[in-house]
Amino acid sequence: MQHAGSPEGYVLAKVSSVAAQLLKRGWHDFSTAEKETFFHQIKQASLGIHGVHVQFIGINFLESLVSEFSPSTSSAMGLPREFHEQCRRSLELDYLKVFYCWTRDAALSVANKITESDSAVDEVKVCTAALRLILQILNWEFQCNSNGKKGVNVFSSGIRQDAGLSNRSECILVQPGPGWRDILISSRDIVWLLNLYTALRQKFSHEGFSIDCPIAVSARKLIMQYCSLTGTIFPSDNGQLQEHHLLQLLSGIIHWIDPPDLVSKQIECGKSERSLFSESPSAAGYFSDYVLVTHQILLSCLCSEMLDGCRALLAMATVTSPTMFNQLLKSIRPFGTFTLLSTLMCEVIKVLMTKAPDEETWSWEARDILLDTWTALLMPLDSAGGIVLLPPEGVDAAATLFTFIVESELKAASASAFNDDVDSDYLHTSISAMDERLSSYALIARAAIDVAIPLLTRHCTERFTRLHQGGGSLDPTETLEEVYSLLLITGHVLADEGEGETPLVPTAIQRHIADSVVPDKNPVVILCSSIVRFAEQSLNPESRSSFFSPRLMEAIIWFLARWSQTYLMSPEGSQDSSYSSKADNMHQVQSISSGQTVLRYFSEYDHGKTVLDIIVRVAIATFMSYPGEKFLQGLTCYQLLHALVRQKNICIHLVTLESWSKLAIAFANEKMLFMLNASHQKSLAQTLVLSASGFRDSESANQYVRILMGHMTAYLVEISSKNDLKRVAEQPDTILSVTCLLERLRGAASASEPRMQKSIYQMGSSILNSTLILLEVYKHESAVIYLLLKFVVEWVEGQISYLEAQETTVVIDYCMRLLQLYSSHNIGKISLSLSSSLLNDAKSEKYKDLRALLQLLASLCSKDLVDFSSDSLEAHGTSISQVVFYGLHIVTPLISLELLKYPKLCRDYFSLLSHMLEVYPEMVGQLNNEAFSHILETLQFGLHHQDSEVVNMCLRALRALASYHYKETASGKMGLGSHASSLRNPKGELQEGIFSRFLRTTLQLLLFEDYSPDLVGAAADALFPLILCEQGLYQKLGNELIERQANQTFKSRLTNALQSLTSSNQLSCTLDRMNYQRFRKNLTNFLIEVRGFLRIV
Amino acid sequence: MSDEEHHFESKADAGASKTYPQQAGTIRKNGYIVIKGRPCKVVEVSTSKTGKHGHAKCHFVAIDIFNGKKLEDIVPSSHNCDVPHVNRTDYQLIDISEDGFVSLLTENGNTKDDLRLPTDDNLLSQIKDGFSDGKDLVVSVMSSMGEEQICALKDIGPK
Repeated sequence: MQHAGSPEGYVLAKVSSVAAQLLKRGWHDFSTAEKETFFHQIKQASLGIHGVHVQFIGINFLESLVSEFSPSTSSAMGLPREFHEQCRRSLELDYLKVFYCWTRDAALSVANKITESDSAVDEVKVCTAALRLILQILNWEFQCNSNGKKGVNVFSSGIRQDAGLSNRSECILVQPGPGWRDILISSRDIVWLLNLYTALRQKFSHEGFSIDCPIAVSARKLIMQYCSLTGTIFPSDNGQLQEHHLLQLLSGIIHWIDPPDLVSKQIECGKSERSLFSESPSAAGYFSDYVLVTHQILLSCLCSEMLDGCRALLAMATVTSPTMFNQLLKSIRPFGTFTLLSTLMCEVIKVLMTKAPDEETWSWEARDILLDTWTALLMPLDSAGGIVLLPPEGVDAAATLFTFIVESELKAASASAFNDDVDSDYLHTSISAMDERLSSYALIARAAIDVAIPLLTRHCTERFTRLHQGGGSLDPTETLEEVYSLLLITGHVLADEGEGETPLVPTAIQRHIADSVVPDKNPVVILCSSIVRFAEQSLNPESRSSFFSPRLMEAIIWFLARWSQTYLMSPEGSQDSSYSSKADNMHQVQSISSGQTVLRYFSEYDHGKTVLDIIVRVAIATFMSYPGEKFLQGLTCYQLLHALVRQKNICIHLVTLESWSKLAIAFANEKMLFMLNASHQKSLAQTLVLSASGFRDSESANQYVRILMGHMTAYLVEISSKNDLKRVAEQPDTILSVTCLLERLRGAASASEPRMQKSIYQMGSSILNSTLILLEVYKHESAVIYLLLKFVVEWVEGQISYLEAQETTVVIDYCMRLLQLYSSHNIGKISLSLSSSLLNDAKSEKYKDLRALLQLLASLCSKDLVDFSSDSLEAHGTSISQVVFYGLHIVTPLISLELLKYPKLCRDYFSLLSHMLEVYPEMVGQLNNEAFSHILETLQFGLHHQDSEVVNMCLRALRALASYHYKETASGKMGLGSHASSLRNPKGELQEGIFSRFLRTTLQLLLFEDYSPDLVGAAADALFPLILCEQGLYQKLGNELIERQANQTFKSRLTNALQSLTSSNQLSCTLDRMNYQRFRKNLTNFLIEVRGFLRIV
Repeated sequence: MSDEEHHFESKADAGASKTYPQQAGTIRKNGYIVIKGRPCKVVEVSTSKTGKHGHAKCHFVAIDIFNGKKLEDIVPSSHNCDVPHVNRTDYQLIDISEDGFVSLLTENGNTKDDLRLPTDDNLLSQIKDGFSDGKDLVVSVMSSMGEEQICALKDIGPK
């Protein structure tokens, strides 16, 4: 290990990592004294007593040692996790600090030589390695903090706990305990390091020689790492020490980024010079190449230095409060850190604006890091959603920055207005990135809300008037694009995304005390109203054609959807209003917050209804006046209207609006709406039906649904009762109408709510016969068939639990006819096509159909579990179980093993099957031979499936069958009768009874195959009744197993294990809970005992 | 509603027509479309805009239902596309003749003898094997825009 001179870097690294592994393996076996002597040698080496090369190797070894002992980077050793954990703790407690000191001393010992001489290559190597090691030590996952959490976490698999944080930004917090204080903080290390870096910097910039070399990079990384120091390492002295520490660092870092304009100019100058060089013909040959290379190096160095500076700011922002963050710079500069941050970012954005969007530049990265810094400052992780109070300077800085951001975004928008070669794929991937950026902007804007809102209002009004003045003569595209991005920014600033919940008014707007309580003068109200008014203008055909482009409408709809979720008729607003109307009388409204003012302004008592009306009319306009604009209409359907009907209090008003009933009437009659994309029609139907929950009583709700859907059902019945249906049906326009009708009905069916249940049931039941006719007619038109099946599935699913016995019988009969018809059309059918993709399509269509049918059966099943009807089904002689088994019998022949390869279908099928077998095992005995053997085959198949969930379900089914049979036969009944016993099949071969077969299979599985340990419990539950059913066979199999073992010890171990499997733990022959549990325990022990030698790898 | 019905009626009368116009935006995946004079099944639809503030257009990728070739088309989404009338009829398979024709039994008891067997070996063997096994086979014949082809077969005989 001390053969130092070897030049082979890779070999060295390997050797040291092997040595580290060896050391770790033997960690507990070495005595302390042995370790002491060993580490003494290392120490000697790393301090440079044996020369520079040995020093380098020593440090290298320490590095591999640390990485080996850190759980996330350790190599697999086939040892228990506990062992790794113990090693980690031991190293952290006893050695890590020592290593740190050695490394630091090593670095110190060579640092001077590096700064003084030009040729200290080996020293540089050592120093770099040392810096890297320090960095690694600081990256250690410190756990033994002072808060005494020393328990070994056996379950976490070495993933850092703060993974969420490192996800958000690139900085990882360093939280060593207070034990490290004297070493890290109190010593002069930081000053030394900063000095070292400054020295390096000067030296390199003088000589024009590579300054982006590893040593400089490691030094910078280490400095950043020091910036992220936090936690109990700092004493609780109001952060004085921490402030001092950060100040030290900042004074070193500041040169990298301040003054921002100079830095960015330097970088950009370098760029342009470079481009100058690359443009010049290569006449200068070698010389220009040389200069070019140096230039590039210098440039990339400046960039990365600047980026690292930004990262350091981010690290500081993460560990400090905004106030402290701002204070830091005050002592060395006349302004605070916020100002620096803001100017820096403005500078970055300025550079960014001059670049083409697809050019990969440093400014992108810098902007993202700085945005993260703002986010870290404005939304610290520990204060969940609370507001962060910025120092006044911070607010000003945010205001300046936001103003600048908006301006540059607008500029970017108008500049990009005519790029229409945007690749749509690229667009979609960048949308989420854009969203993230916009929400960071929103945070900045909310930090300076007083400035941001009026600013946005001003920009909006300016653009709106410009559009009007243009009046069609000028090309409005640039302005349109500006309005587009303004709407996006404003939407993000004003409201949060709901993500399924009702978002609250952002705290900044909520808390912001308005200058005047008069709502008309509230800046937020002004901004919102001006946008709503602008949206309203899209109703005017003239202005619509001149400047409301589809893209602009998309932004408007998006804005309205987002905004209305937060502000429109919020229940909070109406409560406040009723309360404050009293307060008004008492003249006590002096301190109503801005948020309440806005909410009240848009509540149902004030302007809410007018705005709602406008929104609905705009929505109608997007359907009627933008034909074929699928994306826009999708936004209206899925975002805007869905968001509206999700809120009960909005529904109440919706149904009273004239515009809403206009939409409903148009939906029922207007041809334009039949031209919508079919799935949009589905969504629209759902929305319209859902809004019926806004009616006070169920009578009028049902009436509304009846009127709404009446046309559709009548139309469908009419189509299906045509005499020449067969001929007409295949015409494309008929297919289109049927498709649309089915989608609409499906949408309505999926909106089943107790209040509208009656009318939706009537809607479905009136077309049952028609659907059967259509099923026949369209048997070759798989797209129609699928829709039809989906409609039935959703309708049954929504209705089944409410139906009375009479109705249930009708529905069940219908479903059976449907199943029979479908099966008669499809069984044994083979599609022929030249195109493999069309064949695949046919296959996946079939799969979707079958899945729908299984869902149908599953929802029928649920009737036995959830039933709101008044009388019991049995009274009417219908048994759900019979029906579902019959259904399964129809469906199973259609399901080929090929189709079971689709994982979703497979799960659906097996969950239905195992449910049936578990709940109604008695039905199995009544199945005919064919159906029965089909079920068995699929069970066999399922047992060997790779999806452990499927295997689990099969085992549950087996358990149910076997235990049913055992209990029945024990009480002298038939059980599964002939199915269970061995039979001679027609060819005269002996066929085993099912339980014998499954006993074999299960044992085989348990003993010899690979499976997830989670399955052992379920397997035990299945095996136990199986053994009880087939005791003779079990004995025989056991004996066979024992006979097969050649090794005597194994033989006796196996005998004993088999013995104790069935006898230990007072296992008895009854199938009760106690025994199942005992058997589980026995089986686990049995497997642990024998699988090791039975299974040969 | 009556308006709609009327529209529908009139189309029914024009039964001889091979294609129908339909708004491009309403054509979905798995629907039919005519591209370059060929009846196709749509396997992929995507939309984009003509210019940032322009109107939507649909991009169709479709497969010729007869020869399996892939075709593509871009149509403004509010414009009409031609949609082929695709007809499928079931016949019982009576005979396969030596010269590559099939003999089919129509619903009214006549025979239809003008349909060629597919030339593709794979498809051909699927049909021939089933027939030579003595199964009762029903073939579905797909016809559109003056072309015909067997598109599926189904065993209806008792086992």
